[in-house]
Amino acid sequence: MATRTTVPFGPQHPVLPEPVQLRITYEDEKVVEVVPVIGYGQRGIEKACELNEYNKNIYLCERVCGICSYQHSESVVLATEQLWPLDIPPRTKFLRTIWAEMARTHSHLLWLGLFADAFGYESMFLQFWRIREKVLDILEQTAGHRVIQSVNVVGGVRRDIDEAQKKTVIDTLNVVRRESDDLVNVLINDYTVKSRTVGVGVMTKAQAMALGCVGPTLRGSGVSEDARLTKYSAYGELNYEPIVETAGDCYARMKVRARELFQAIDLQMEALSKLPEGEIAIKVKGGPPANETVARTEAPRGELYYYAKGNGTRHLERMKIRTPTFANLPAVLILLPGCQLADVPVNIHSLDPCISCTER
Amino acid sequence: MENIIQITKNDIVNEGKKLLDAGAKFVTAVCNDLDEKLEVTYFFSANRGVDLTCLRYTVGKDEEVPSLTGTTLSTLLIENEMKELFGLKVKDLAIDYGGHLMLAHDSPTTPMLKPKKAEAESKGEI
Repeated sequence: MATRTTVPFGPQHPVLPEPVQLRITYEDEKVVEVVPVIGYGQRGIEKACELNEYNKNIYLCERVCGICSYQHSESVVLATEQLWPLDIPPRTKFLRTIWAEMARTHSHLLWLGLFADAFGYESMFLQFWRIREKVLDILEQTAGHRVIQSVNVVGGVRRDIDEAQKKTVIDTLNVVRRESDDLVNVLINDYTVKSRTVGVGVMTKAQAMALGCVGPTLRGSGVSEDARLTKYSAYGELNYEPIVETAGDCYARMKVRARELFQAIDLQMEALSKLPEGEIAIKVKGGPPANETVARTEAPRGELYYYAKGNGTRHLERMKIRTPTFANLPAVLILLPGCQLADVPVNIHSLDPCISCTER
Repeated sequence: MENIIQITKNDIVNEGKKLLDAGAKFVTAVCNDLDEKLEVTYFFSANRGVDLTCLRYTVGKDEEVPSLTGTTLSTLLIENEMKELFGLKVKDLAIDYGGHLMLAHDSPTTPMLKPKKAEAESKGEI
């Protein structure tokens, strides 16, 4: 009779850049049970949002995560603006969309590199991250910073994109597209990559829905769902339709992100070409009224959900942040049981986990 | 916010199941401290995630409430979180982290609860 063994996978593990633990029970190298354990870095940001004045929550919330920082700042300003509600200038909406897709581009390049690294393809990891540097450079040139942009304020944005910057962005994105295309072709068609990912960690459409998954994890299981369909910011004026793969395995989730990388570049090009003239911010006076609202944005890992409740003062009564990884984490309950122990890292990485977000 | 359906705590499992059976997806739940009571709101999305429906109930802080984890595991983490951070007495959780999903053994208990209004007034805090 096979022996059952329970091992702690994390919180410190070479494949996990952040602390999370999976208590994995396995039998003959096959996983039979898993319990996810978080709480190694809980920061109490939701509570801190009640103690800050509302406009300072932007600086706090954009530090929930270093990779999807931009979407956190966009979400917190959208939620706060909706409490009034404020009428935001059209140019602001386009600028926010451009930076959001720029952030998605660097996040997906980061993930593609990490995913390649998870199954030992270290040179590809290096190449994806080399390309990502170019995207961080144009983020710095346009928004002012590479990682935490701090470009959003309640009522608008701090910076504009002028014609010279627009040309730099377009030229850089063309290079990023060309270089990424070469690498993605290798990733998608490589025999070894396929042998490690095709048919591994299969999650059906029904399972993904039942577990409340979001983002590329959900779309890799054939569900065409995306917060950008709600047409926030300028998405209603762009040619956008979610990218979907149907196999539900690690390979499908990888393909969704690889295709979204190019779609994000297309969306930036389209938004830049349609960028309207006008103001980039409006003046906001007083605190948000006693009201409640929800702001939803599509972060690189999936739908980011901000619930805000005002009380008529400059402090919010409540701010709730539901991050994509928090929604995707229950998926390990069905992805891991039945898989080989050696496939656990690839399975986990296929969810693009962000523990910093989860431990908000 | 639109589409808020007021229910009682005993209806959450049936009403949640109805939405899920109709093709909706659980999004998240939010707990609010109303001084003497807790307000719990479950959010569900439908129509490719575009439409939101909220099921909301209010309970006393000492009352037990049912868990939706028997119907969908997607509520597992958030129900444990509400239990820890607000002291919401959720019973029959599929996996009960025993108050330590997010909080350490020496963490403050129920840190998201606000000071009671009457106590805060007597201390001159509000």
